[in-house]
Amino acid sequence: MTSRTDYDVLIVGGGIAGLQAAIDIGDQGYRVLVVEKEPSIGGKMIALSKVFPTLDCASCICTPRMAEAAHHDNVTIMTYAEVASIERSDGFFSARVIQKPRFVRERNCIGCRKCEYVCPVDVPDEFEGNLGARKAIYIPFTNAIPQVALLDIDNCIRCGRCETVCPADAIEYDQQPEEKTLSFGAVVLTTGYELSPMNTKPEYRGDELVNVLNPLQVERLLAPHGPYGRVLRPSDGKMPESVAYVLCAGSRDKSIGVPYCSRICCMAAIKQAILLSGALPLVDITIFYMDIRAFGKGYEQFYQNAKSMGIEFVKGKVAKINEDDEHNPIVRVEVQEGESRVEERKFDMVVLMQASLPGWCPSGVCAVETSEDGFLTRKAPHSSPALTTMEGVFTAGAAAGPKDIPDTIAEAGSAAMETVLYLRSLGVEPGTESAAQEVSR
Amino acid sequence: MSDAPQEKGPRFHAPLRVGVYVCRCGGNISDVVDVEKVAEMAEKLPDVVVARVHTFMCSDPGQGMIEKDVRELRLNRVIVASCAPSLHETTFRLTVMRAGLNPFLYEHANIREQVSWSHKSTPDEATEKAFRLVAAAVAKARTLQPLEPVRVTAERRVVVIGGGITGLKAAVDLSRRGFGVTLVEKTPFLGGRVARLDKLFPTETPAREVLAELFEKVQNDPSIEVLTLTEVKGISGALGMFDVTLETAPRGVTGPLDDPEKVFSACPVEVDDEFDYGLSKRKAIYMPWKGCAPALPAIDFENCTKCGKCVEAAGGKGIELDGEPVRRTVKAGAVLIATGFDLYDHTREYGHLPNVVTLPQLIRMLDEEGPTGGRLVWNGKEVKRIGFLHCVGSRQVAGIHEPPEGGRLNEYCSRVCCTATLHAAVEVRKRFPDTKVFDFYQDIRTYGRGHEDFYEDASNADVLFFRWRVEDQPVVEEGSSAPLAVRVKDQLSWNEELETDLDLLVLAVGMVPRDNRELLDVLKVPSSSDGFLQEVHPKLRPVETAVPGILLAGTAQSPMDTVECASSAAAAAAKAAAMLWSGYIELEPFIANVDEDKCTGCGDCLAACNYDGALSIVEKEKDGAKVKVAAVNAALCKGCGACVAVCPERAIDINGWTLEQYEAMVEAFVADYDENAEEQK
Repeated sequence: MTSRTDYDVLIVGGGIAGLQAAIDIGDQGYRVLVVEKEPSIGGKMIALSKVFPTLDCASCICTPRMAEAAHHDNVTIMTYAEVASIERSDGFFSARVIQKPRFVRERNCIGCRKCEYVCPVDVPDEFEGNLGARKAIYIPFTNAIPQVALLDIDNCIRCGRCETVCPADAIEYDQQPEEKTLSFGAVVLTTGYELSPMNTKPEYRGDELVNVLNPLQVERLLAPHGPYGRVLRPSDGKMPESVAYVLCAGSRDKSIGVPYCSRICCMAAIKQAILLSGALPLVDITIFYMDIRAFGKGYEQFYQNAKSMGIEFVKGKVAKINEDDEHNPIVRVEVQEGESRVEERKFDMVVLMQASLPGWCPSGVCAVETSEDGFLTRKAPHSSPALTTMEGVFTAGAAAGPKDIPDTIAEAGSAAMETVLYLRSLGVEPGTESAAQEVSR
Repeated sequence: MSDAPQEKGPRFHAPLRVGVYVCRCGGNISDVVDVEKVAEMAEKLPDVVVARVHTFMCSDPGQGMIEKDVRELRLNRVIVASCAPSLHETTFRLTVMRAGLNPFLYEHANIREQVSWSHKSTPDEATEKAFRLVAAAVAKARTLQPLEPVRVTAERRVVVIGGGITGLKAAVDLSRRGFGVTLVEKTPFLGGRVARLDKLFPTETPAREVLAELFEKVQNDPSIEVLTLTEVKGISGALGMFDVTLETAPRGVTGPLDDPEKVFSACPVEVDDEFDYGLSKRKAIYMPWKGCAPALPAIDFENCTKCGKCVEAAGGKGIELDGEPVRRTVKAGAVLIATGFDLYDHTREYGHLPNVVTLPQLIRMLDEEGPTGGRLVWNGKEVKRIGFLHCVGSRQVAGIHEPPEGGRLNEYCSRVCCTATLHAAVEVRKRFPDTKVFDFYQDIRTYGRGHEDFYEDASNADVLFFRWRVEDQPVVEEGSSAPLAVRVKDQLSWNEELETDLDLLVLAVGMVPRDNRELLDVLKVPSSSDGFLQEVHPKLRPVETAVPGILLAGTAQSPMDTVECASSAAAAAAKAAAMLWSGYIELEPFIANVDEDKCTGCGDCLAACNYDGALSIVEKEKDGAKVKVAAVNAALCKGCGACVAVCPERAIDINGWTLEQYEAMVEAFVADYDENAEEQK
């Protein structure tokens, strides 16, 4: 039965949810293809510094998962690829997968980075939250998988130096997208989330003020291998002495269409505050909040620790943010503590905790339903949370609503179980021999 | 042991070629330890062919570098100096295996937890310690022998402890996956606390509908054995082959009763009905609710007087008052703990007050099948002003809250109560529009998908919110004009102290760890500091306990709602399936190994052994004579080394951790090294 399809399972999204599901399905003997739209697997988690509430370094947990999936006999990974359509017929799925051009031959590239060293073009590095620079041809980040270069054709000046220096004949300036149609027994959607844009609330001027950052930028500042190797504010490289966090900067706000709670921001802010206090011993941190939602295992204790470390929690609604001549952000806030009052407070740096939005819209690609919030609809949340509205299609992690890493990993296990049960109901049994496919390097 | 029988394959005879790999861990290590220097010095150690540094050794490029070296430099021993072995020892064993090396020719040195993180302020000394740990690892690696994992047959059956929603879901999934399941429930009925809920948030699905579906699947599935009134009394064996001892208490009712109602009314004993959290009474022979499973009444022998009236009413059929508990042993590959939670006991703080109920009690009252038939009445009077108080028994703070005698403070958040409270508050406003609703909270934690809607609905339905700070605890007293008065310093009204009269106060009592010490002692699984069961790692191994093969799911682990319980149950089932589906288990080969030439069969090792059956004394033929020697059961030995410590002949060793290897490590650790020497000895 297995031979009827190219793979038993298609997993869309190679973040921590997709990788964990791939491993949990692969461990049960089924063959999985993971399709990731970015040039490396690892999703949002691999860019984080440390994770709450244990403060483990994120790389130390995510990197081995990435490697485990990449080396798994039953798991094949395609990066920098998009799923263009998923259709179900005769009880099986057919998906069109488009390999976007890297302008580098993936099979040839040996990841030596010689191209990167000679490339004369510097552009802002997305992985570093645009705080550092990368070349026009580059390996996405140190621990990326695969270690294959990618040419950013929009910024390339066609000088030809990379082609000259490449020892593996890997550069292909006229590479075209490649489309494949593949068949599967089941599909798992682990398409994650994206942060809302920095200009979502124009009164916060998040897209204009240089010292107003998003939380992923702060993660990079805190990461030991981040852009500056320490925490400096972007405008002048000063070590910030005062930092403010604005919670719900885009969530729980009907006026901008995100009435829901983004679930991870309270804890992420508290974690960053604790890490910043470690990195900058003299820093004063203020967190403006509506409600502190420290609901998970060990979370409330983490919050109380932050309070006892002297991190200031202020219940208040931030009305607007401006800056002074030295680019110090000025926060105008209605403080709901004691005598309620409106204050203007100056900080060296402000972090906007933006909302989590759906990472993918299935419309036109796959007939699964989404709910009003844009995330995938769960068909039977109380009995089988991994089920979507389409038979044979499952989901886990932030694709079905904002979620922290422990909850995401539990859901990935759950989706793996439901997927395997579904395959078994079709009569698909795990391959008896190792179904090793050539793994993308 | 150095000339032990594992000696095989060409690599053993080849000259030693050791590779040392020092990880920067992004900066976690290299910000303190001079990793380049460690590598440089390690390269001068005997038999070390190469020593390299990488930013993330565990990353694909890092592992790729090691693989390449093993192949190209023909390495036959590999050392990685990085984080704790609990994180990445397995990772690197697999790396060297991919390169064609026996995975047990790998040795790990921990220079993060044991060095860079613990000696931040003394980098020079930290660097020296890191090097010495590497030197010790090299010394050990030079004596390593190839080992083969121990393969044991796995029982394709799982014992699931707990018949609530988590246990039911896990049982159904495991059975569909092709496993036998023994579902063990302590009480006479399945369904746990979800059976006592009305509608589930956020979908408003009737709780007992969800259960009915699960009951049907569990009861009609020949692969699932349901044992109610059953407790786990013992466990032996290990992952893949546990023997679980179960004790089933008598149910009293052995077959269907013709007219159960008649039988119940014949019973003269009346006790509080736990199904309604004490809001109603039941008899000593009873069924808790219409759709209960099994659909067979049970006798509560703690309260039954054995008067025999029920037997009479049943016409002598189907009742047996003198049953005895039955013990049996089940073979299982894994055990899943889904024992759920208890509710916080609020009586210390609020027990003296009238007109106080818990949220679970209110939910029973709002249930049309509940004790008040769905009416909002207390002591015969309609409730016109109802208050909800959050965080009763949760988020407790030392200095403000007092722990119970011999107990601990519940510092954690119980996660579900905010949404559950608002769900109930909205329901009250909807069904009883004349009733005013007041909500006293610290933070509203409607974090989940669809949860925030209840907060909004409550606000739109004119639920009045009061926000208190933990240092200004609300004061609840008997009122003058109403049964109760609640005084709070309300942060939403400029910290003014406000007093609210109430007819009824609902306490959102938190979830607390189940009081099941006996079971946990039997299973030997650890608890977290909050008292809930401890997973190995919240992100890497979230459904496993420290005991291999014993898994956990649901609210035994931490507070969760039903959706999260279902996910957790399926995730645990997936883990069990991944461990057992192939029908065998591979265990680490670090087990005791007896040198039969030296062993005198004295039996000291047997007396010291901590694992039943792992060691035995057997008779063997030696030079024509029968001698007694110790023998190891590879499947049961855990390699703890207790036998090694007591052996008077040094005849027993742990494979991969021999005394010779320890000695080599100690010597290397304390040796004198000269930084400038060409080669270290």
